[in-house]
Amino acid sequence: MRGHGFLLANYVPGDSLLHRAPLALKFLLVAACGLVSFVIVDWRISAAVLAALCALFLLSDAGAKRLWKAIRPLAPVLLVIALFQWWQLGGATAARIVLNILLCVVAASLLTATTPIQRLLDGVVRAARPFSRFGADPERFALTIGIMLRSIPFIAGTFADVRDSAKARGLERNPRALVLPVFITSVAYARQTGEALAARGLGEAED
Amino acid sequence: MPAVTFAQASVAVEREDSPHPKVLLHPVNLRLVEARIGIIGANGSGKSTLLRLVNGLIQPTTGTVAVDGDDTVRAVRKVRRNVGFVFTDPLSQLVMPTGREDVELSLRRSIRNAAERRSQAEAALQRLGLLHLADQSIYELSGGERQLMALAAVLAVDPKVLVLDEPSTLLDLRNRELLRRTLAGLDQQIILSTHDLELALDMDRVLVIEDGRVAFDGAPAEAVTAYRSWCMQGLNTGRDVQ
Repeated sequence: MRGHGFLLANYVPGDSLLHRAPLALKFLLVAACGLVSFVIVDWRISAAVLAALCALFLLSDAGAKRLWKAIRPLAPVLLVIALFQWWQLGGATAARIVLNILLCVVAASLLTATTPIQRLLDGVVRAARPFSRFGADPERFALTIGIMLRSIPFIAGTFADVRDSAKARGLERNPRALVLPVFITSVAYARQTGEALAARGLGEAED
Repeated sequence: MPAVTFAQASVAVEREDSPHPKVLLHPVNLRLVEARIGIIGANGSGKSTLLRLVNGLIQPTTGTVAVDGDDTVRAVRKVRRNVGFVFTDPLSQLVMPTGREDVELSLRRSIRNAAERRSQAEAALQRLGLLHLADQSIYELSGGERQLMALAAVLAVDPKVLVLDEPSTLLDLRNRELLRRTLAGLDQQIILSTHDLELALDMDRVLVIEDGRVAFDGAPAEAVTAYRSWCMQGLNTGRDVQ
């Protein structure tokens, strides 16, 4: 299992301004980037915002290599989107859409690269606390986010393994040989994760 | 040591192609009080089913299972607090991106204060000599390191009983040895299933499971001899070896 095709950057210990910034501010930054990606209509503004986010990422000491690692798995998908949009709506729209997706990914990576997961989870628990009056367990919200962050690289790694197996059998052009094993492995992984959580008593209601 | 008791405990599952359920474990009566208990047997013989009963991951179809008097169905949460479970594949057990985060996750319920949780997690990692690997992605660790990391996450909450399902199956010789030494130094009662007969010989008591039944229960050397002889008989009579 490879499991390295991670879309978001892992936490990098450090003491930069971004590491020390309040979690709520970083959450707001990510939310704002998500929002502006719908609002921006000029690809040059998207490019400027993306450049600013990349600069922030580099200032956080997380490193250009990690930034590239966060973006690289998206490259094939972005290329397909760019070509399709270019064909349908022209170069300016294609550039804006691709840049807007990238800026969302870089903003999310900025958050995960400068915030330890446990701090992130504590923040989610605090944010979800008002829902506890409706019977929701804030710890479960946090656990869900944690499992999501962990599952993305697993599924990406599964896809890479399955693609290699299909290639070895000369089935790389057969979509069934690619999709079905990834689907089955992902379901099995979900079951195993559920069992492991149950065994550790995680995700159960508070005493 | 805590006492793990099985009273006429059996497990059966429904089958789509047959009106009769498939019996995974026939009714078994056991009282496990030794510090180190091994379970050996062929693949599909019922070893994992027996282990999963101890933690309440599987409920008995008939009979009861209790850990220190706590029923694994009625008091499942208390049982799970007292019984740590280590799976064969640590990748399915480690649910956080790094070891430190996973150990901290184990402690979230019991320790609310983030700084205290962090220091407890570091202490748990230090005990198994894993602190230097705490911030590495779990994908970057070797099989043995991952298995020890999964063990650290389970031991962080200080269970009374440690259940391990074929913990050395995916490990090379060096990592297997490392795991053996680590297990030997733990205070917890250990119940493990294994295909590693050397590991089985380290135990105080060994059960041999055959077709969902306890076929032998006794001293490790005799249990291993009995198991070897059954395996050879199976080969010589042409019976399927799974």
